[in-house]
Amino acid sequence: MDLLIDSFRSALLLVLSFDHELLVIVGCSLKVSGIATLLASIFGLPLGFVVAFTSFPGKRLTITCLNTLLALPTVVIGLVVYSFISRRGILGSLDLLYTQTAMIIGQIILIVPVITTLTIAAINRIDKRYRITALTLGANQYQMAWVIFKEARYGVIAAVIAAFGRVIAEIGISMMLGGNAKGFTRTMTTAMALEYDKGEFVLAVALGLILMGFAFGINLMFHLFQGRSDAV
Amino acid sequence: MLYKIEALTRVHKGRTILDIPALTIHSGQIYSLIGPNGAGKTTLLHLLAFLDIPDSGMITFRSTPVRYIEKSLLPLRRQVVLIDQYPILFTGSVWKNLEFGLSVRKIERKRRKPLIEEALELVGMQDFSHAEAHKLSGGETKRVALARALVVQPEVLLCDEPTANVDVENSGIILDILEKINREQKISIIFATHSHSQAHRLSLHTLILKDGRLSGLPRDNIFTATLLGQVEDRMVCRLQNDIRITVPAGKSLPKAVIVRLFLNPEYIVLIREREADAGRENLLPGTVMMIAAENGRIRITVDIDISVHIFLSQSEYAKNRPFIGEKVFLSIDDRAITIE
Repeated sequence: MDLLIDSFRSALLLVLSFDHELLVIVGCSLKVSGIATLLASIFGLPLGFVVAFTSFPGKRLTITCLNTLLALPTVVIGLVVYSFISRRGILGSLDLLYTQTAMIIGQIILIVPVITTLTIAAINRIDKRYRITALTLGANQYQMAWVIFKEARYGVIAAVIAAFGRVIAEIGISMMLGGNAKGFTRTMTTAMALEYDKGEFVLAVALGLILMGFAFGINLMFHLFQGRSDAV
Repeated sequence: MLYKIEALTRVHKGRTILDIPALTIHSGQIYSLIGPNGAGKTTLLHLLAFLDIPDSGMITFRSTPVRYIEKSLLPLRRQVVLIDQYPILFTGSVWKNLEFGLSVRKIERKRRKPLIEEALELVGMQDFSHAEAHKLSGGETKRVALARALVVQPEVLLCDEPTANVDVENSGIILDILEKINREQKISIIFATHSHSQAHRLSLHTLILKDGRLSGLPRDNIFTATLLGQVEDRMVCRLQNDIRITVPAGKSLPKAVIVRLFLNPEYIVLIREREADAGRENLLPGTVMMIAAENGRIRITVDIDISVHIFLSQSEYAKNRPFIGEKVFLSIDDRAITIE
């Protein structure tokens, strides 16, 4: 118990002192996860929208596959991407292994299903009358889609937040594809694992605190935003 | 001619939910669409609003056959607005809701303001322009939905049960507005309703839907009858209170013994007692019970032990002047009788 309290106290001091190594690790995590979330959103949001909005043969199967991909372990993604970008892989010549780009690719694969399925759910929750109303008032297909998107915006934001939460806390992809190189690909989760292996709890607890702080801050912002919109 | 429908069918899950062989709807008029739940009223309105695609048949709008491709549908949809039975307003202010139809039509911003203000004033919601749309009551929502439809100045307004779930005050306001915009702006209106009195009040034309088919039987003078059998060349039908009406035996009759019998008011002649010719078929004595003006015609209700409605033109009424309580005869022509 003393170990935990001492570690916690030291970690808090480390956070408050804006330790350089800590900031580099946090910066790397935010950069990689932020870019992965952004790119996955660019792909996943329209995909979710199209799947929710259109009828096509195999739609249910597509949704089932997407739901299955939600349970995809990060180490499996790490392995698959590794097999492509390792020196012997078909993309080996690009020298992507143990770079932030590799981590971003892996994280995109991890969260595209998250964003897509949650967007589908958000769009499906929107009352069908919005679509009919927009069309009968003279909207074209794109204007109608924008109406639906606006009505579903909180669900869509929630999808993006959930995806960011998923990638910032993942470790398998970052470790396997990033390699945990200090100053380059060391993220909060990989650093915590390393510090644990070394028996150094202070930095690990400090990073854990920051990670939890991020999670809390993002959710708080979302709820405040949603609450304000409800109150209007 | 506004709409012409030919051999239209709509199938849902293998069941034909709408089957209209032919229908013509003229512009500038108010049509009421009556039928029980599931009769196909909403389906027909959606097809008329170009929001749904028929499985077969053709709709002609303003003499041009409708082509079901997005490029062709958009200009048509911009002439016709459907107001849902339970209209939904977009998130945001009432103003933003009204602005939507104008902004998708790329109406200049400076032109939007007077149009929106005029539409809100028409429905008596001018004080609500900045109110949050989702916080309005049911009646207010319907009025804003009506304003949102009218602000784009449509050629045709389709209303699915415009007064459903609305209090009496708002219901009256909505009906007054529909009457006014038809009269003043010549907007064609087709509205679905369960209420015969609303249909009477607003429309000259009533379309009756039953099980997805247009019933040949209008709203008046429908009776249950029993086919008693043939006497010489005529089939005898017994209505309630033992009223008997005969039809030519050659007329196509259903096999059932219990049938629905419709007396078309157009072919029923009111005869003053002194003029009655006792030799005629289907000459029934009765008493004038009610006289009312309705859509430019005079509706006369005659009690022949059942209430039968007939219509006189203003000039016919001025000439004959029947009075309440007067003993008269109704001469029912064979053409007036339809049996289903």
